[in-house]
Amino acid sequence: MTQRLKEVDAVVIGMGMVGSIVAKELAAAGLHVVGLERGQARFTVPEFQSPAIHDELRFSVRKALMQDSARETLTFRNQGSQTALPIRRLESFLPGTGLGGSMVHWNGQTYRFQASDFQMATHVRERYGRNFLDPSLAVQDWGVTYDDLEPHYDRFEYLLGTSGKAGNIRGRIQAGGDPHEAPRARDYPTPPQKELFQGALFRKAASNLGYHPFPQPSSNLSRPYTNPEGIKLNACVFCGFCERYACEHYAKSTPQTIILPVLLANPRFELRTGCQVQRINLDSVRKQATGVTYVDAAGREFEQPAALVITSAFALNNVRLLLLSGIGAPYDPETGQGVVGRNYSYQTTSSVAAFFDQDTVINPFMASGASGTVINDFAADNFDHGSLGFIGGAYVGAVNSHGRPIEYQPVPPGTAAWGKSWKQAVVKHYNHTVRLSIHGSSVSRRQNYLDLDPTYRDAWGQPLLRMTFDFPENDLKMSAHITAKAVEIGKAMGAREVAGYARKGPYTVTQYQSTHNTGGAVMGDNPHTSVVNRYLQSWDVPNVFVIGASAFPQNASWNPTGTLGSLTYWTIDALKDKYLKNPGRLVSA
Amino acid sequence: MNRPWCSRACLMIGMWLIASVPSARAANPAAPPCEACHGAHGEGMAAAHVPRLAGQSADYLQKQLDDYADGTRENPIMANFAKALSEQQRARFAARYASMSAPFIPEAASMDTVTLARGHQLAYQGDETKRVAACNACHGPDGMGIAYAAPYLAGQSAEYLASALNAFRQGTRKNDAGELMRSVAERLDDADVAAVAGYFASLTSASRQGSARPKR
Amino acid sequence: MDKVTRRSFVTTVGAASVVPAVALLSPAAQAAVPANAPTASQPAKSTYLFFNAEEVLFIEAACERLIPADEAGPGAIGAGVCNFLDRQLGGAWGAGERLYRSGPWAAGTPSQGYQLPFTPAELFHTALRAIHRDFEARGSAFHDLPGEAQDAYLKSLESGAHDLDGVPSAVFFEALLKATVEGYFSDPVYGGNRDMAAWRMIGFPGAYADYFEAVDRHGVKFEREPLSLAEDAQHHIHVHPDIPANL
Repeated sequence: MTQRLKEVDAVVIGMGMVGSIVAKELAAAGLHVVGLERGQARFTVPEFQSPAIHDELRFSVRKALMQDSARETLTFRNQGSQTALPIRRLESFLPGTGLGGSMVHWNGQTYRFQASDFQMATHVRERYGRNFLDPSLAVQDWGVTYDDLEPHYDRFEYLLGTSGKAGNIRGRIQAGGDPHEAPRARDYPTPPQKELFQGALFRKAASNLGYHPFPQPSSNLSRPYTNPEGIKLNACVFCGFCERYACEHYAKSTPQTIILPVLLANPRFELRTGCQVQRINLDSVRKQATGVTYVDAAGREFEQPAALVITSAFALNNVRLLLLSGIGAPYDPETGQGVVGRNYSYQTTSSVAAFFDQDTVINPFMASGASGTVINDFAADNFDHGSLGFIGGAYVGAVNSHGRPIEYQPVPPGTAAWGKSWKQAVVKHYNHTVRLSIHGSSVSRRQNYLDLDPTYRDAWGQPLLRMTFDFPENDLKMSAHITAKAVEIGKAMGAREVAGYARKGPYTVTQYQSTHNTGGAVMGDNPHTSVVNRYLQSWDVPNVFVIGASAFPQNASWNPTGTLGSLTYWTIDALKDKYLKNPGRLVSA
Repeated sequence: MNRPWCSRACLMIGMWLIASVPSARAANPAAPPCEACHGAHGEGMAAAHVPRLAGQSADYLQKQLDDYADGTRENPIMANFAKALSEQQRARFAARYASMSAPFIPEAASMDTVTLARGHQLAYQGDETKRVAACNACHGPDGMGIAYAAPYLAGQSAEYLASALNAFRQGTRKNDAGELMRSVAERLDDADVAAVAGYFASLTSASRQGSARPKR
Repeated sequence: MDKVTRRSFVTTVGAASVVPAVALLSPAAQAAVPANAPTASQPAKSTYLFFNAEEVLFIEAACERLIPADEAGPGAIGAGVCNFLDRQLGGAWGAGERLYRSGPWAAGTPSQGYQLPFTPAELFHTALRAIHRDFEARGSAFHDLPGEAQDAYLKSLESGAHDLDGVPSAVFFEALLKATVEGYFSDPVYGGNRDMAAWRMIGFPGAYADYFEAVDRHGVKFEREPLSLAEDAQHHIHVHPDIPANL
């Protein structure tokens, strides 16, 4: 028996990074906002305190902060010709849950995309010609430009207090920063984190090879900082328990440390945790959302009417909600028709291990989630792809964020997987290895998509999201090319032995790679190839806004969070300045 | 509120010691003038806010001496002593006190259970409303200290702990790397300072008595 | 600007305490500690609640081949890995915590990962029962074999040469190896990594991790006794294997 509640101005589905920021802005603008979060509330004290939080088995291996795959997971297959099967234990990507979402346990790597990323289709055509792109790829322009987003990137970085060194301030290249970056209005709010020894080794080698190393922008702060919301963060102590863990020191930028104290103090906002949204409800002609239906922790079903619905439940869940709600036509890869679920993409990651002699001591366990030194010389379109036969690129760097021993046992190729020689190799190399990361773009492919599974269901009886994905040949070529470049840098660092592990197909869900699942509800200027318009408003149901990396038509070389943050503020402006003053379609179809 | 870390009596002893340091060193380079304030066994002088040094982390002690020497930590008496020593001598003094084990002086005043409980809470959990992490996160189980990270608090005098926290609160002590202690202290009020100082001062567990404490 | 000093980390002195436990001592466990083992830990004495006596004989011998004792540090038995495994399999994780358990079931492709209905506890009991039966039929026992023969058998499991009553042997082997490494390197709160010997062996400092100043000392080996999250000020580790896999 569904209980119908009193109508509110806005419902926000998912109280992670996006939901927290949107809810705060809408409530500050005077709206009565309800935030629905499937997980529990948790805070720095007591839930994130150490030493209890520094438990590798619990948080890294058993994934205690992540979505519980027993109740809700996805099904997966590489090709449409296969039968998708449940991901019975999430490994490759690890969606968060709970108040603060995955931003509680992210690594803090805070990048911007480059201008060409937002107009990738146009840019590739102009630079390399119409026939350069593999026709099976579905590269699209975003419908917004970098210039549109720049002030919002700035606002997001200043909310977080991101520590970094600008490379291009209003067109002036700055020494020590990234010369390839798109111009920014001003420097980062705090200076870069300290450089680690592995970063120094990388920087010297990369410079000697003619590349342009710079400190990775980090939202594990280098020094105390008070953000524009009046909330103060502390300096990060390089504990080496960043990704998959929560920060005990108020030093990692998370909703808890950057915005929730303000949001939770606003009486116009109401947080409801343990609430699993089942669908967004539509009116009888399916043109307007009337609110959402959710089930609480005790299994009771509620209908929450609302004038405005924001879905900010993470890229994958956003797409699933649209499909479960019947908002937008589901994509069919056979016919190419439909939009919801198309252009699903990911991140193409690979690594290099540089093994040093015993007198080079790395101390890998001293690191923050985002302390590191990187180069963008091989990212995006910063190098000529003409003769290479692929598009996209990767940043390369010494960004290893930990030395936790269950996860980190670097050994040279050819080492046995167990036994005496394995053990000896682990002892020999643990403190004398630098791991380089190659973090690359992911183009969309017509056959990669998301839809609802016909067989498997979640604990609430709803169909699981089905993921059909494999790496495009384009991205495997990109990975091979840039991993080889990273091997050269490893050698130039003075390592005795360097091993490169380029990404190989097929994509497997059994090995962690990244939680940068993007696309599926992409933004654009054409309703036949996008689900939301440039303001992330649903083309089909104008009072639904779908805010997440689900909006990315393809994924660029860098971590998505910075760009999602900028899109969030961009959309908030559209909501406040345009939509709330005159509800309706903001862009004509 | 702004109490000097050293009472007037100690100030006078200190002035005499400053004058006598060169001759003391000449006569016996190993003779420490430290004992006059810090005690024969490094047990400190609680009433004068002179800290217990016995068994403290050598790395921490050396850093304090270095900071006194170059002014990063301000104190005219300690600065004079520290400047008169070379870096190697400071290291030797630090190592010497680190290896000492002095009996703990029982705390004169007893704390009420509510205040002790508050101190325990700040030590083990922190306080979300004040955005303060648990002291033990850096200072170790029961504030026993963690080498290269944070000094022991357990068994330190409540007077000294309170004066140190207040100095961080007021910004008169600034030698905490990353402003880590200032970030914490500025969010504490007088009651919090008294609670956490008193709590750690009350911790004199059996393992800390007698033999040299393993450096952890 | 923080000072960067060139002096090395002060050498540490100290010994961790041993928390003794009482129970069985299998032949493998007796043989587990070589004469020149550097740590003071005794051979593992564990009370097994999940494994029966026959399973213990196989598990201890097999884990000790996966991570043997040597000059650098203890093997699986000395580190308490089998004790860890016993508690994990007997607890929530063994019962299927965080495992999606609905059917239908199909073998799937390697990309699709684990697709069996077994919980970890069921997987281990099923596989161990089948292994025991195989050896019984041959009139031998894994724990009686010489080391090289044990390795050869383990490699045959690893390569998938056996079907263990529906558990592909490669799946069982992978789970066993993974759990062995976890038991070796996890925080001793879970009953493995006894005395933090594994951490000490590689130089991992453990659960207390403020490195703000230490990180400036590029290339200088960080020497500090490891610390467990369950360690008190008297250096006793309060073992508590039932920590749930959620917050």
